[in-house]
Amino acid sequence: MDFILAGFIEAFQLLLGGDGETWSAVTATIKASTGSMAVSLVLGVPLGFVLGYFDFPAKRQTRLVVDTALALPTVFIGLMVYAFISNRGPLGGMGLLFTISGIAIGQTFLALPVVIALSATAVESMDRHLKMLLISLGASRRELLFSSLWEVRYGVLAAGLTAYGRVMTEVGISMMVGGNIKWHTRTITTAIALETGKGMFSTGIALGVVLLVIAFGVNVCLSFLRSK
Amino acid sequence: MTVSQPVYQLDNIVHRYNGQPVLNIDHLDIQPSSIVGLVGPNGSGKSTLLKIMGFIQKPTEGQILFNGKPAVPFDEAVRFQVTLLTQEPCLMKRPVFKNVAYGLNVRGDNKNQEKLVCDALAMVGLDPNTFYRRPWDQLSGGEAQRVALAARLVLKPKVLLLDEPTANVDAASSELIRSESIRARSDWGATIVIASHDRQWLYDVCDEVLHLFKGKPAGSGRSNMIFGPWVQKGDGCYAKRIGDGTVLIVPPPPNEDATAFMDPASIRIVPANEKTTGKDMASVEGKIIRLSLDQPSGHLFADVRIGSLTLVVCVEESHLVTTTLHRGWPVTLTYRLDSVSWL
Repeated sequence: MDFILAGFIEAFQLLLGGDGETWSAVTATIKASTGSMAVSLVLGVPLGFVLGYFDFPAKRQTRLVVDTALALPTVFIGLMVYAFISNRGPLGGMGLLFTISGIAIGQTFLALPVVIALSATAVESMDRHLKMLLISLGASRRELLFSSLWEVRYGVLAAGLTAYGRVMTEVGISMMVGGNIKWHTRTITTAIALETGKGMFSTGIALGVVLLVIAFGVNVCLSFLRSK
Repeated sequence: MTVSQPVYQLDNIVHRYNGQPVLNIDHLDIQPSSIVGLVGPNGSGKSTLLKIMGFIQKPTEGQILFNGKPAVPFDEAVRFQVTLLTQEPCLMKRPVFKNVAYGLNVRGDNKNQEKLVCDALAMVGLDPNTFYRRPWDQLSGGEAQRVALAARLVLKPKVLLLDEPTANVDAASSELIRSESIRARSDWGATIVIASHDRQWLYDVCDEVLHLFKGKPAGSGRSNMIFGPWVQKGDGCYAKRIGDGTVLIVPPPPNEDATAFMDPASIRIVPANEKTTGKDMASVEGKIIRLSLDQPSGHLFADVRIGSLTLVVCVEESHLVTTTLHRGWPVTLTYRLDSVSWL
């Protein structure tokens, strides 16, 4: 037990002392996850709305594909993205391998199905009379769309939060696509895996604490938004 | 005398759900500033007709003229003119004032919005000081229905469509909806169409009551619809058991589940236990539960409770000579069998 306790004490010393290596991993994680979440939300929320709101041919099959993508293993996504952006792949010339952008691309494939599926579920659970209400109050087609989306904002926020949780805690994509390069593409999760393997519990615990703090901070922000 | 152009002209309207016809109206005109009631059993097409008249959905076939011009959902000509209050009070996940002000915002009407919202809340009997900022999820069913009505009244619509407005509210709210409907007509000349199961309420409020049955118009005014099943009696007639051993006798129906139609004017009230004479006559015992004056026609109507059934009878002066009518008094209703028609 002593080494765990000592690990926590040293972890706080590393964080509060501004340890460069620790904060480099934190920065890399925030950069990659912010990029992937931005793209996932911009693409995923409208697609989720379309999937949940409209009836179109092959809707059930589309939903099945999206739901299956929810279970995609991160190492498989890492493998596929690696194959596409490595020198031998079709996008090899773009120099994305072992970069934060490369990690963000991989994490987008992880987060996008979560945002689409959960946004679609939120839209499907919308009051079935809402459309009638909005039209009867004089909403145009555009106002109908935006007002409906606003009505399911909590569901969409929950979708974003769930996707963010997956992105922040994944190891496979960051390890395979990012290469876990110190000071460059080493993220919180890959650093924890590496430091634990080296027996450096304090660094691992410190990074784990940062993950928890970020998750807490995001939830506090969402809670604040919900109260508005 | 000039005849004003109808607000609505519905021609050859057919609507189908999953291929099944639910509404079939050859022609229907609604006059401006009139209050029209729609009555009929579940599945008769009342709500579908209101949705089509509210331009929520387009009919499968047919044409609607609004103020003489063809109109479809989202048309600029109808979007701000017609509003529908649905049976289930649906509110947006916003405070009361944002719910009531939504339609004003859509119309770009931001002047005196707070006052307009407060006035609308007061119109439906909700204290603006208490309810203005109340979240949508802290309202009772009746309060939500009133807020939903306020959201319509604040718009001063040319046409107000109400679908079962009294289904989920208490007697006080029901009276308030009645008075506000009449006020909407007198204050800004609104045309009002109300669908309800509550026939008496409709007769009290409306200038005209249209009957719908299986998606088709089935007459207007006060009438009696009696649903099957019908059981054959020994003498070639059929009967419906209506509780307490009482039976209502009718001529042979087209099928056992047919719906009988009895004109209130074809039923005569006589003193209790008076025997009927004549082969083609039938009678049934009941109790008067209500007497009401029909404002447009000036006729007196009696609602007579017979077991589980209530029949409306048009009281003629000759009836009053033979019997005295009071609420709760037992009476006998007599009618000719050939006056019963089938829908």
